[in-house]
Amino acid sequence: MGKEECKTLLDALNKVTACYRHLVVTVGGTSDSQHLREELKKTRKKAQELAVANRNKLTTLLRDKTASKEDIAEYERLWVIFSTCVEFLEVDMKKTLEIGQEFPLNVPKRYLIQSGMSGRTSAVAARAVSAQNMKYEADSNIDVTDLKELENEINQVGEMMMEMEMKVNVANWTVEAKQDPGAELKSTISVGASSVGMISVNDETKSACDPTKVLAGVIFCVFLFIAVILAVLVIKLS
Amino acid sequence: MTIKHCDYSQHYRPRMAFTKKIEALVLEMQDPDTGIKTQTQRLVITTIPHAMTGHDILEWIINRLQILDEEAQNIGNLVVQYGYIYPLQEPKNLILRPDGSLYRFQTPYFWPTQQWPAEETDYAIYLAKKNIRKKGVLEDYEKENYNILNIRLNHKWDFVIMQAKEQYRAGKERKKADRVVFEFQERAYWLVHRPPPGAPNVIDYGLDRFSDPNENQVTQKKTFDVYRREIIFNQHSMMKSRVKSSVSLGGIVKYCEQYFNHDPIMTGCLPSNPWLTDDTQFWDLNAPLSEVPTKLRVERWTFSFRELLSDPRGRQDFQLFLRKEFSGENLAFWEACEDLKYGDQSKVKEKAEEVYKTFLAPGARRWINIDGKTMDITVKGLKHPHRYVLDAAQSHIYMLMKKDSYGRYMKSPIFKETLNKAILPEPTKISESKFPFNKRHRRSSPSPVILRQLEQEARAKAAATGPVDITQLCKFTSPIPHLTVYTGFCEPTSPTGTALCDFPPPSPGLMTLPNSTACPSPICVAIESTPASERKFEPSSISTRFLSIAESTEMSVSSDSSTAVVKETKQPSHKSLVALSFSRFLKRGCSNSPIFATLSPKCPAVNSGKVQPMNGEPQHQPQHNHHHHHQGQQKTKKTNNFFQIKVDIPSECRIYPIDSGDEEEEDCPNSVKNNTVKEVICPWETITEEGKAG
Repeated sequence: MGKEECKTLLDALNKVTACYRHLVVTVGGTSDSQHLREELKKTRKKAQELAVANRNKLTTLLRDKTASKEDIAEYERLWVIFSTCVEFLEVDMKKTLEIGQEFPLNVPKRYLIQSGMSGRTSAVAARAVSAQNMKYEADSNIDVTDLKELENEINQVGEMMMEMEMKVNVANWTVEAKQDPGAELKSTISVGASSVGMISVNDETKSACDPTKVLAGVIFCVFLFIAVILAVLVIKLS
Repeated sequence: MTIKHCDYSQHYRPRMAFTKKIEALVLEMQDPDTGIKTQTQRLVITTIPHAMTGHDILEWIINRLQILDEEAQNIGNLVVQYGYIYPLQEPKNLILRPDGSLYRFQTPYFWPTQQWPAEETDYAIYLAKKNIRKKGVLEDYEKENYNILNIRLNHKWDFVIMQAKEQYRAGKERKKADRVVFEFQERAYWLVHRPPPGAPNVIDYGLDRFSDPNENQVTQKKTFDVYRREIIFNQHSMMKSRVKSSVSLGGIVKYCEQYFNHDPIMTGCLPSNPWLTDDTQFWDLNAPLSEVPTKLRVERWTFSFRELLSDPRGRQDFQLFLRKEFSGENLAFWEACEDLKYGDQSKVKEKAEEVYKTFLAPGARRWINIDGKTMDITVKGLKHPHRYVLDAAQSHIYMLMKKDSYGRYMKSPIFKETLNKAILPEPTKISESKFPFNKRHRRSSPSPVILRQLEQEARAKAAATGPVDITQLCKFTSPIPHLTVYTGFCEPTSPTGTALCDFPPPSPGLMTLPNSTACPSPICVAIESTPASERKFEPSSISTRFLSIAESTEMSVSSDSSTAVVKETKQPSHKSLVALSFSRFLKRGCSNSPIFATLSPKCPAVNSGKVQPMNGEPQHQPQHNHHHHHQGQQKTKKTNNFFQIKVDIPSECRIYPIDSGDEEEEDCPNSVKNNTVKEVICPWETITEEGKAG
C-alpha cells in the first residue's frame, strides 16, 4: 500500500537526518577530518535522494482524490513530518557550510576546537547510507571543494521546499500527532549495531521479552556490578 | 512548512558583535603551543581528553590580553556564559572559577550565532532524547517545557519523537567517550539557550530588526531617486551639530560631580534606604508634593531651571513666587503646552484652542508676552493644530522664565524661606534588639488609580474655582465649571491649607506700562486696561506684562480662601463680558483704536465688567480716587491682601459714566446668566459669531 511505502521512505529519511545531525556536530572539533567531510557529503546525497523520492510519493498520494478522509489526514500528517524533516536537513546543511568555511582542514595555522571528541564517525555514516562499511574515495581537499557543491545543494533544497510549499496545500496546524507525550519512552528498542537495511519503527511493539535472555542479562549485570565496584576500590586505594 | 522569514516584519536578529570577538579568542586558545594546556577528565569508566582548569584559562586570558585579574575574570565569565566553554563539574553554574575546576570547549555547531537562534523543535527533540536516556526523569522546568512544547508543536510532534529516537540510536554507533561528550555538549548548549528558572538569560538580545543586518545593500538598484536620497542624507549628516568628546566627557564629569551627593546609591540616602531598614520615611519625605522638602531636594533646584520645573514641589514654590510677581501665566502656559504635548491625541485640537483663547488671543485672559514673530508662527500653526504646534511659544516662554524669573526666584524671600524650612532627616536608628516586637504595621500606599482620581478631582476643583479673578466681576453669576484645567495646579494635595490651595495660582497680572510695546491689538489693549491702572500705584514689584481682565481680577484676589466663592461667581461673567466688550469694539469700529491705545493704562477698572475703552482721562481720576478709597476699605477687611479685592462690583459698575453708552452693560448680570457663548474667537474659526455681534 502506498501508505506503508511512504512510511518506510519517511523513516529512512528520518534516520539519515539524524545521522547527519550527529556528523555535523563534530565538524570543527578534533574528530573532524577529511573522512568526516566525505561522510557528510555522502549522507547528504543519500538524504537528497530520499527526499525527492518521498516528495514524489507523497504528492501523488495527496493528489489522489479517491482517498478516504482518514487516509487524507494520514497523508497530511506524513507530509508535515516530511516537510519538517527537510527543513531540519536544510538548517543542518547551512550550518555545515558555515562551520566548514570557518574550519578548513588543511590550513596550517588553523586549529580545530578541542571539543573532547576523538573517535571516528564512520559507524554513524555507515548507518546513514545503509552500508556495512564506509568507503573513502575522495581526494584530500574535499573540505574546500565540497563547499561549493554544498552551496548548490542548499539552494536546491531551498527551491524544493518553496515548490513544495506552493504546490501542496496542507495546513500544518490541522495535523494532530498520533503519539502522546512520552511516547518515546514506550518503545526502547535498542537496535544496536544493525544498520543494515531500513528499520521500520513500530511504536506499539515492545522489546522482545525472552525469559532466558532476561535471566542471562541479569546475571551478567550482577557480575559487571561487582567488577565495577572492585575497580573503583582499586582506583581509590591507588 | 514553518514560516521562517516573512517580509515586512521584524524577523532579523540584530548583529551580535560579541560572537565574532569571542570566537577569535577561543580559536587562539586552541593553539597547541601558545594555547591552553589540556588534561584528561576521568569519569568512572571513560577518560575524556581536552579538559582545562579554570585557573589555566584565566592565566591564559591575562597573558594574552595583558589585563588585570578582575577584568580577566569578567571576560572569562562572559565566555562561559555564552557557551563557548562549559564547566564539567557544575554545569549549571556558568562562571569561570579561578581554581582547579574543569572546563571544556564547546563544539562549533553549538556556538551561539546570529543567524540561527535555538529552535523550539530542536529543544523538543533534545528533551525527548533526554527522556529516553533518563527514562523519564527530567527536571521540573524541563518537564514543564516538554508539556508546553507538546501543545505548541503538536503538529510536529510525531517528527519530534521519530527524530529523537533515531538520534538516540545513531548516537549508539559512536564510541562511549564521544557519546558522553556529546551529552555534555548538548546539555551545556541548552543550559545557555533555555536557562533553568532563576538563571539569567544571557542570550536575550531585545527586539528583532526589520531588515537583515547581514544583507548587502548592493542589490539595490541605483536609480536617480536613490542617489537623491543619499545626497540629502549626507547633507543632513554634515549639518548635524557634533560635540567633541572632550566637551561631552567634561559634561559627564561635571554632572557626576554635581549629582554625586544626591545619588542615593553613591552616597547613602539620609533617613535610610527603605529596602534595607524597612523604614519608609525616605519615600514619605520625598513624595512629589510634600510640604517640607528635604535640603538635598531644595539644593537640586538651584542646579538648573529644568530641575526646578521637573520637581513638582519646586514647581509649586516657583508658582507661588510667580504669582507674587504677576507672571504666573507664563508657568501656566508652559504647563498647558506640556499637557498638550503629552496628553490624549483626541483632545489635541480642543486643548490647542483653549490654550489660544486663554493665553494667546489678543485680549486673552492670561495673555503671555511673546514676540510678534513667534506669535505669528504659533497662530498660523494653530490653524492645523497638532501636539507640537505650541513648541516655539513654549520654548520662548521657557527661556524667558529661565533667564528672568528663575534668577529672581533664587534670590526671593520665598525660596529662602523654603530653604530654611527644608529639613535634613536623621538617619534611622537600627535597633537590633527586639526584632519580633518591632514589626511595623504597614499600610499599603494608596493605589495609583485612587491617587490619579484625587489628582483629577483636585484639578477639576481648581478649574472650578477658576482663574479666580473673573469670578470677582459679578457675584451674581454662577461659576463656569468647564474652565480649562491648566490654569495651574491648585496644589490640591497640600494639606496644610496654606493660602496657596484652593486657588489655581493665577498669574498675578502685571501691569502694563502705559505704552506697552507688546500690545498687539487695540482691542486687546482696551480689554486689558484697568487693573493695570490701579496697579500702577501699587508698591509691588510689577513686571511689565499685559494684564488681561482675568489677571486684573486675579491680582485683586487674595490668597484667602474665603473669597473663593465670590470668585466663582465672577468667573462666568468674565467671558461674557469680554465677549460683550469685543462685540462693542467691533461695533464701534477701528476708529477708536488710537483712543484705546492711549487709554490702555488709564482704562478704568475692567472689574466693573465693562470694557471702558472710551474712557478718557477724566474718568481716570475719579476711578482712581474711588479706587484708593476702595482700597482703604479693602485693607481693613483683609490684612493679608496685597491687592484689594473688588467685592462690590455692582457698586462700581455704576460709578463709571462710560456706562452710559453701553446698554448692554446693564445686562451684565443678566447676560451672564444666559451664559452666552460669545467668547474670544479664534482666528481660524468662522467669523459668524462676529457677524452676529456686529
